[in-house]
Amino acid sequence: MSHVAHTVAVRASGVDMFFGTPDNQVVALKQADFEARRGELIMLVGPSGCGKTTLLSVIAGTLTPQAGTVEVFGQRLDGLGQEELTTFRRKNLGFVFQSFNLIPTLSVVENVMVPLLIQGRPYDEARARALAIIEKVGLKGRDDGRPNALSGGQQQRVAIARALVHEPPLLICDEPTSALDKDTGAHIMELVRDLSRSPERCVVVVTHDHRIFRFADRIAEMEDGRISRVVDDPKLLDTTHL
Amino acid sequence: MYRLALNMLFGDRAKLAMLLCGLAFSALLMAQQSSVFFGIMSWTYTPMVNIRAQVWVSDPMVEQVNDAKPLRDTDLGRVRSVDGVAWAAPLHTSFVQARMQDGNLLGPDGKPRSTPLKVGDTFEINDIQARIVGICKVKRAFTGGPFVYTTYDRAKGYTLGARRTLSFMLVEPQKGVTPSELCGRIERDTGLKAWTSDTVIWSWGERSLARNTFWWFWTNTGIPFSFGTAVLLGLFVGIAISGQTFYSFVLENLKYFAAIKAMGAGMGVIARMLFVQAFTAGLIGFGLGAGMAQAIGRAMIEKGMPPFVMYPQILWATFALVLGISFVSAIIGIIKVSRVDAASVFRG
Ligand SMILES: Nc1ncnc2c1ncn2[C@@H]1O[C@H](COP(=O)(O)OP(=O)(O)O)[C@@H](O)[C@H]1O
Ligand SMILES: [Mg+2]
Repeated sequence: MSHVAHTVAVRASGVDMFFGTPDNQVVALKQADFEARRGELIMLVGPSGCGKTTLLSVIAGTLTPQAGTVEVFGQRLDGLGQEELTTFRRKNLGFVFQSFNLIPTLSVVENVMVPLLIQGRPYDEARARALAIIEKVGLKGRDDGRPNALSGGQQQRVAIARALVHEPPLLICDEPTSALDKDTGAHIMELVRDLSRSPERCVVVVTHDHRIFRFADRIAEMEDGRISRVVDDPKLLDTTHL
Repeated sequence: MYRLALNMLFGDRAKLAMLLCGLAFSALLMAQQSSVFFGIMSWTYTPMVNIRAQVWVSDPMVEQVNDAKPLRDTDLGRVRSVDGVAWAAPLHTSFVQARMQDGNLLGPDGKPRSTPLKVGDTFEINDIQARIVGICKVKRAFTGGPFVYTTYDRAKGYTLGARRTLSFMLVEPQKGVTPSELCGRIERDTGLKAWTSDTVIWSWGERSLARNTFWWFWTNTGIPFSFGTAVLLGLFVGIAISGQTFYSFVLENLKYFAAIKAMGAGMGVIARMLFVQAFTAGLIGFGLGAGMAQAIGRAMIEKGMPPFVMYPQILWATFALVLGISFVSAIIGIIKVSRVDAASVFRG
């Protein structure tokens, strides 16, 4: 196995994604190339509407692009059927959403158990593992409460616990801090960095919140449906136009 | 995941209450309307219930028990001579008016009485005196009003010498002869019409007079139609309400089902979650509705109006329909969720 094959976690090349009808077409991705490595936290930044979420969805296997190839941990996603994509997501992915997406009628611990139960783990084991990670995100004692009783920052902590409870090799976060205030956002990113970093795991964070750029190992800048440049040191990125 | 599916269902008390109300209401409506329907229909063959003879014989033109066409008194002898007849007794039925001693009328047009009749009371039928020697509790008939039972000869007397008074003949088969077998022999030997007297709606035979009466009313009167429409209405309202409430439950949870789907749950798992939710709600809703129908029925039976016969079959049918509603609701929910794009979880 070559060195490259070992370190590349996600590779998307020449990805085209259009929405709408042929005569009323929205181009979301145009010949987009993207690469993320194992063990890194890479941020995908750019102005609103430039295609960040669409690219993330393509990587997550929830959207199938019209052209291009997508490879995650050596597995080609293009050509997979719905069922295979579902299995792929179940095994490999953890999600953190901007709007948390916690199920309001379930308790905190039940929400965190969901990925394990989807994988078919027994209820008791799922509960034990969920409780352990809830403690790690600093919400010990809140496990039986409802998510709505928590603050936004606390809800996002629950979401992070849910995204990591099954130890997925790929964690994707779409605007994880944009519903939160500055300090809370920074805390959440700290938590993501501390809990999710591992030599095998790749973390992709979509954001336009430049206050959290410092948590990134690399930053990929997007413009009009494609990656315009990749910066190795966040400090080098000119954030004035964002 | 099914445990979580149930927790999702029970997690929102207000929504659950609405869903259960819808299901319970439709179960109640269906069970209650059909019970009243069968109750009313059972009034049509009241004589079959009150007079326990195994075989009834009538004029060949008779179609149902309330429509007596008088027979000749000599027909009784012809029936008695049929092989297999243990005994045959004459029956006269007619509507009469009774005048109580206080001048009040008793019967179809009479006023309701403030004090109940008791043994020893006297009244007049066609100016002929009658005295109560016993009181029995019997099933009421469609027309309402009390029954006066007396011997055939006395009954004849009250009719002021009407030419023909024999409405039906009540026949008992000899040991070893079944009622329907005997009916066949009587019809063959006498040319009269013979009926069996089974009144259990689910098992009555072709020859049952109760059954023929039921179907006669079914085809010749508007009663089944008006009650049938009420039953159907209950069904439609039930389907609409519970389908709608379950659908809104799915809609409100659509976002979360989409998230579960994005996290890697296949449609199979989600479909089973929805089935678990729908059938659980259906089961509880049916229980509540059937319970309420029972309670209302009991109260109605105590008041005597309207009639209420909740056969176990009605409960089973209601149960099946409620589960059917749950099934359809779940299917609609599944279709809805299957159309949701997993990518939609990233939006708003
Ligand atoms: N499902 C969709 N249907 C139609 N247009 C879409 C859809 N999703 C995204 N778009 C369009 O694609 C473009 C990129 O969207 P998106 O990836 O959400 O951008 P970002 O996340 O960078 O704000 C936008 O113009 C958006 O309106
Ligand atoms: Mg976006």
